[in-house]
Amino acid sequence: MKTVLKSVVLAAAVALSAQPVLAADAPKAKNLEELLQQVKKDRLSEGRINKQREQEFLSERADKQALLRKAKAELAAEKSRGEQLAADFAENEKTLSQLEEELTLAVGNLGEAFGIVRQVAGDLNSRFQNSIISAQFPGRETLMSELAQTKDLPELPQLEELWFALQQEATQSGKIVKFSAEVSTNEGEKVTQDVVRVGAFNLMNEDEYLVYSSDNQAITELGRQPEAHFVSSVKNYMGEGAGVHPLYVDPSRGTILSLLTTKTTLGEYYEAGGIVGYIITGVLLLGLLIVLERLLVLSAIGGKIRKQLKSDVADESNPLGRIIKVYENNRNVDVETLELKLDEAILKETPRIERGVSVIKILAAIAPLLGLLGTVTGMIATFQSITLFGTGDPRVMAGGISTALVTTVLGLVAALPLIFLHSIVYARSQALIHVVEEQSAGIIAAHAEKENK
Amino acid sequence: MMLFLMEIWESVRDFMNTGGDVLWLVAGALFIMWSLMIERYWYLSAVFPKEMKRIVGDWDARADTTSWYAHRIREAWISQAQVKLQARMQLIKTLVAICPLMGLLGTVTGMVAVFEVMAQMGTGNPRLMASGISMATIPTMSGMVAALSGVFFSSRLEAKVKVAEHRLIDSMPHH
Repeated sequence: MKTVLKSVVLAAAVALSAQPVLAADAPKAKNLEELLQQVKKDRLSEGRINKQREQEFLSERADKQALLRKAKAELAAEKSRGEQLAADFAENEKTLSQLEEELTLAVGNLGEAFGIVRQVAGDLNSRFQNSIISAQFPGRETLMSELAQTKDLPELPQLEELWFALQQEATQSGKIVKFSAEVSTNEGEKVTQDVVRVGAFNLMNEDEYLVYSSDNQAITELGRQPEAHFVSSVKNYMGEGAGVHPLYVDPSRGTILSLLTTKTTLGEYYEAGGIVGYIITGVLLLGLLIVLERLLVLSAIGGKIRKQLKSDVADESNPLGRIIKVYENNRNVDVETLELKLDEAILKETPRIERGVSVIKILAAIAPLLGLLGTVTGMIATFQSITLFGTGDPRVMAGGISTALVTTVLGLVAALPLIFLHSIVYARSQALIHVVEEQSAGIIAAHAEKENK
Repeated sequence: MMLFLMEIWESVRDFMNTGGDVLWLVAGALFIMWSLMIERYWYLSAVFPKEMKRIVGDWDARADTTSWYAHRIREAWISQAQVKLQARMQLIKTLVAICPLMGLLGTVTGMVAVFEVMAQMGTGNPRLMASGISMATIPTMSGMVAALSGVFFSSRLEAKVKVAEHRLIDSMPHH
């Protein structure tokens, strides 16, 4: 029974869901009788409401009809207006073409002239962007680009401006002017300094060349100045007040100077040698040190030996003196024993004189071999880059190749002076050895003869 | 005459410019080598005969030429003469040997220049590389020529020195 009741209530709720507000507001029935009464009452009121809505619909239908009629009338009006406008457009088009025809007739030969003005302005624009004269007169190129791109006919003042700009470029390219300008230094700062412009060729400050970069329209310091004798001409030139003075000028208007920044310096070449390069430098330095030490020692010994040759007293601070001392100590022995003793003394002296000479020769031989080592490692690097990137771009390979060649150069550069110095040191030591080995006995004999007389 | 000399100087300078800096090294080595060789020729032909006459005279003047002392003294004199004869011969030989090495140095620096051009401009324009290539080949050639000019005369010199030594030894008889 209760479930039936529930389903009836549910059905009523569903039926009333069209008017949820009403359903929610409906007072709850306490029992079946009341529910019946309530349903009856609701049916009456609903019938009333429906009737009322029906009447509303009917009255509104009349309104909508009127609205529709009105909209249709508007559509018709717009359509006719559209036709009118299209006709106007066609009419205007015709007038326009007619007028343009009139204009071309009116412009006549001037059209050609204006075309040339645009062309010249375009040329000047690019020329001014690259010209160092723009460093002194900034903003000229904007006017030219306006003139080159404009669709309007140029006005008389603009034409005069073009003429003026051309004249100015021509006049200024023949002048040497000093003016104050902002220069961006290599450190990234902007410094205002006096700049001298030589025609359309060079910009310089007190002691250096400057370049005008067309990209950011600014004067910049060169990343790398040319060789000292070019730069010193600037300094001399700036020191002069009047008259004619020599100066190196870049005829390419800055291109050659900017190319300098891409040129490899000796230091960079050296860096390209890598570890092998440093080792070769070490070998060279070691060799030079030995050469220096040998030359000092040998010339000291040589000096002492020369002094010994002149004096009669044996001085033990030099090899010859020590050998003579051996003779003096064995004055009374027979000739054969004396010769043996002398030979022994000579054998003791020679290694001291010859020491280090062969090391120089070995170092001189090692240096080119190390260069060869660097060549091979450089070639390995080259072939590695070929396997990675192919042979398409020679620039990729060139890096490894220059490493290979630079080490070869370094090897030769180290070997040449070492070979040369070795021969000098060797000749010196040989001369001393000659004295000690072959002449010492004769010197002793001469002494002995003198004493016996 | 002046014009002719100037023309020669111009062509030499052109040659040096195309050959690069290494050529100056070769030229320096060649100059030192030839001045040393000329000095040696002069010594052998003008100075040494007088020297030899003096030594041989001294020897002949000696009463004693047979004792141990006399032999040692003779050896010492010969050795002194040899030192004078052979002075700088080592240097000349080394310079002859160095010349081709300098040429090689020029070859390699020239190739470095070629590869630098290649790295910057690519291989598109062989004309750009030509200056590097002439910097590579001209020093090599000059090094070779310098060495060849030295090899012949330095070996002639050596032979002459040896002959002079032997003549000195032979003209000092010991009994």
